[in-house]
Amino acid sequence: MRRTLPISILALGACSIGNAQPAPQDLHGAAPFQDQLLRLEPLIKGFDPAIGPPWVDPVIWKASIPKDNEPTAARIALGRKLYFDPRLSKDGTVACATCHDTTRAFTDLRPTSEGIGGQVGRRNSPTTMNAALLASQFWDGRADRLEDQAKLPITNPIEMGFPDGAAAVAAIAGDAEYIQMFKAAYNRDPNYDDIGRAIASFERVLIFLDAPFDAFLRGDAKAISEEAKRGWVLYNGKGRCNSCHPLNPANPIGSDGRFHNVGVSARHHDFLDLANKALAVLAKSGSEATLDVLAVGSDTSELGRFLVSRLESDIGGFRTPLIRNAGITAPYMHDGSMQTLWDVMDHYNRGGEANPYLDGGIEPLALSEQEIADLVAFTFTLTDRRFADANATAFAKQRDQAKAKRPFREDDLANRRRMPFAATPAGSKP
Amino acid sequence: MRTRLLFACVCAMTFACNQKERAEKREPAPGSAPAAGGATEVKLCDNHTTVALTELPKDRGGGQAVADQLMAQWRQQHPDQEWETAVRRSWTIKPPADNASVIAGGQREGQTYGRYTQLDVTTWARESERAAMEGARVFHDGDELGSTIAVSCDMCHPDAANTHPETYPKFQVQMGRVALLRDMINWCLEHPVRAKPMAADDPRMRAMEAYILAQRAGTALAYGKH
Amino acid sequence: MSRKHTSVETRYMEEREQTLRGLEGLSRRGFLKVSAAAAAGAATLVGGMSRHSFLPVRIAGAQPGDKGFRFAYISDSHLYEEKVNDRFVRGLLRAVDDVNRMDPQPDFVLYGGDLAQLGQASELQLGQQILKTLKAPLKMMVGEHDWFLDLGDKWRELFGPELYSFDHKGVHFVTLMSVVEKDFWTERKLTPMERMKTVAGLDNGAQRSFEVGEAGRKWLADDLAKVPKSTPLVVFSHSPLYKLYKKWNFWTDDAEPVQALLKPFQRVTVIHGHTHQILTNRIGNIHFHGMLSTAWPWPYAPEGLPELTIQMDRPDPFNPSDGCGDGSFDVHPDGLVDSIYRLWNRNPVSVKASYVATGKTDRPPTNSRRGY
Repeated sequence: MRRTLPISILALGACSIGNAQPAPQDLHGAAPFQDQLLRLEPLIKGFDPAIGPPWVDPVIWKASIPKDNEPTAARIALGRKLYFDPRLSKDGTVACATCHDTTRAFTDLRPTSEGIGGQVGRRNSPTTMNAALLASQFWDGRADRLEDQAKLPITNPIEMGFPDGAAAVAAIAGDAEYIQMFKAAYNRDPNYDDIGRAIASFERVLIFLDAPFDAFLRGDAKAISEEAKRGWVLYNGKGRCNSCHPLNPANPIGSDGRFHNVGVSARHHDFLDLANKALAVLAKSGSEATLDVLAVGSDTSELGRFLVSRLESDIGGFRTPLIRNAGITAPYMHDGSMQTLWDVMDHYNRGGEANPYLDGGIEPLALSEQEIADLVAFTFTLTDRRFADANATAFAKQRDQAKAKRPFREDDLANRRRMPFAATPAGSKP
Repeated sequence: MRTRLLFACVCAMTFACNQKERAEKREPAPGSAPAAGGATEVKLCDNHTTVALTELPKDRGGGQAVADQLMAQWRQQHPDQEWETAVRRSWTIKPPADNASVIAGGQREGQTYGRYTQLDVTTWARESERAAMEGARVFHDGDELGSTIAVSCDMCHPDAANTHPETYPKFQVQMGRVALLRDMINWCLEHPVRAKPMAADDPRMRAMEAYILAQRAGTALAYGKH
Repeated sequence: MSRKHTSVETRYMEEREQTLRGLEGLSRRGFLKVSAAAAAGAATLVGGMSRHSFLPVRIAGAQPGDKGFRFAYISDSHLYEEKVNDRFVRGLLRAVDDVNRMDPQPDFVLYGGDLAQLGQASELQLGQQILKTLKAPLKMMVGEHDWFLDLGDKWRELFGPELYSFDHKGVHFVTLMSVVEKDFWTERKLTPMERMKTVAGLDNGAQRSFEVGEAGRKWLADDLAKVPKSTPLVVFSHSPLYKLYKKWNFWTDDAEPVQALLKPFQRVTVIHGHTHQILTNRIGNIHFHGMLSTAWPWPYAPEGLPELTIQMDRPDPFNPSDGCGDGSFDVHPDGLVDSIYRLWNRNPVSVKASYVATGKTDRPPTNSRRGY
């Protein structure tokens, strides 16, 4: 009985998607949802909600699920339907699957994401894969759990555009199938909170932690290359990666859940002016909706965690993203400003970007070219085996891009020959 | 080490005394040779440290002065030999546990097992303390640690403060995994100190562990404490 | 979202909101068009908040246009030559950048001592070169790391006398040399570098305790004799001028006679370096504020910590500048002094004169991750 359960979830889902497909020109760059569903099927085959994912500490897994949203087949099926339903957007073209596309590593592979009316936001779409294990959601951590995260894009004017949750519920509440599914899942009429819960339940199925690196840890010495093995040593040593991206059995996804200013924002904006402006508008109206708009829709998005906590120490700070499957989820950083993992390594190697709020733990690393290559090779071994093809393609593509240009590379800074923050004597020209 | 110093002292003093006697007998003395310009070379018993005298001492005081001169020269060329004094002068090491209680007891003299003497207890204390002292020496010396930026442990941990070795093994946040004391020492070596990490059985690592643990004598174990 | 985010600044934000409501028609789109000048103007309406720091720094009882002033500090940089240690150089550069970005600029910048690590000419010169890029005027104070290689020769050559005083906006400032040590090196025939390295070890017991010394106390007495007792007094000293922990020289041996010289003044604030941490004390009517280091933080002493001190959280070694930073002092017209600690990667901490005086009002927030 148990074994057939997962497949029946898929069957339910596949049937009910039919009449909600946007026209091809309205897909905002995503794959058609039918194609996405076909891709999804083999990826999540065999997942049993009662047991949870393999390779995750069961105590940690249990702790990551809220008490009022234990996963059941009905909840997962409802969430799945909602995830692929563009009726949850104001103009009926954008679903979760638009920016978290199953054929594009559950993200959209764009620097920043596109929503209704072709509006482009300011933040890079994180992947839904393994998001269930993150300590908070969004780059600035303004949602605690998946349940909270799922509700916010729906009411964001740039993303899915409904003015409030009630409008979103009204868009689907007339659907008899939904009424029946909500009843089966939560024993309630369709409501906004349960929309969030259901989507979260579905997203908890999307655990992809079976990478060649895991096989290597389990004892298969041939699972990863010698380069990658050296990279693993560097990851825990000279590269200092493990301090913010720890990889251990209790935390297999590689994020410490904390907020660090690594200097990415500093490349674009003047923090002091931005922070003042943000304080002005937040003082007038400190609601979630305002916060959400600011986070996605304006320059102040670069202030990161500061918008949520309003603490000076959080200016320009963003939550460490998970590092699993990073090979296939380019581009990188909160603004998608880095195309390749070589760019990421160059950024950290040079000590980030100097700004008054730079996390002092980001120091120049003096990594050699070979060491960078080793770290990149290692990071690519963190991609789940089910995406091996996409991973190989991505690696080749990034390697070629990196050969052509390395915009963030600065050997003088990396090798500590030149100091950041260095100023000129007062009155002289810089 | 102490014994050796004494020997050299006695040696030098004896030489000086003999020198005086032989001078009076006007015979060339063993261990001295006429040098260029008529100066006499006096060697320490290490057969290396040398002092050249133009005038031989005439009394005990003079002889002692020559001996002192030789010793001072030897100390200057071997600054590490009196390292224990130097360590004690600079840093306080907590004493090891007092084992006087094992000496008491009704075991009979002459038995091999179940019997310890004052000499045993003193030896244990000396050796334990010396291990901690060696650790203090390494702990406070950036060059000894191999730091490439002239940083030593005491810059953040004076008197090994804030090292809390009683909390290991624990999840070390900076390493993203569970660590033992020596793992954290190595992490600190690699990052704040910017030196090469040491092998677990490196004498310097063992010494530092000894010192750090010694400084926390009396603290209850509390593994996993952050 | 299940929890509304609140911040420690909430109360301040509500007050600020009332003020900003005065800015009419600030629509969601409109705020982006608010010019920097207007924003700064709005900021200064609420009791002198600096655009630089979002901590509500209110000058006690201040009206707009009051005559209090602010000076900044940078301290304890412990420079090696750049090719020996780049990290400490970077720390000082960052602090200079912080101070240069202050708007408005402080009246002057105090350098709190220990510019060099081993007192070498190259280290002192490097420090001087970097400090020259400060826009505001600079006042130097000597620390033990600057002194004990050559007993002050190079320091005096580069920075002038180690004991001096000046008056500024009605306040009398005195800079002491309070890291004198009785001679421990001649008897042992130490070379200058051996002497310097002995003093450089915080926990090195082969050195002697800091003191101002007889000559320094005489100089102080003479200097203060000319100053009316009602004049506010601010004393710069590298050692704390009280007795906290002898083993680490968080200590001034002749603290009592020095304090006796200061006591008759109505308002006295001592600002000291050496301790590399948030440290607050009051003895009688004398307020004591420690300064942060730009190089590394010291742990809190195992005993002797003043009651008023609210320890900062234990620094995280992943971030070598955690627990470090720079700061400033606000001097009120009546001579009371607030200390603002600008910790890197942490929220600023304000230790107000009202807190030091009462131990209760305006108490800074407590922290939970102590050193041990």
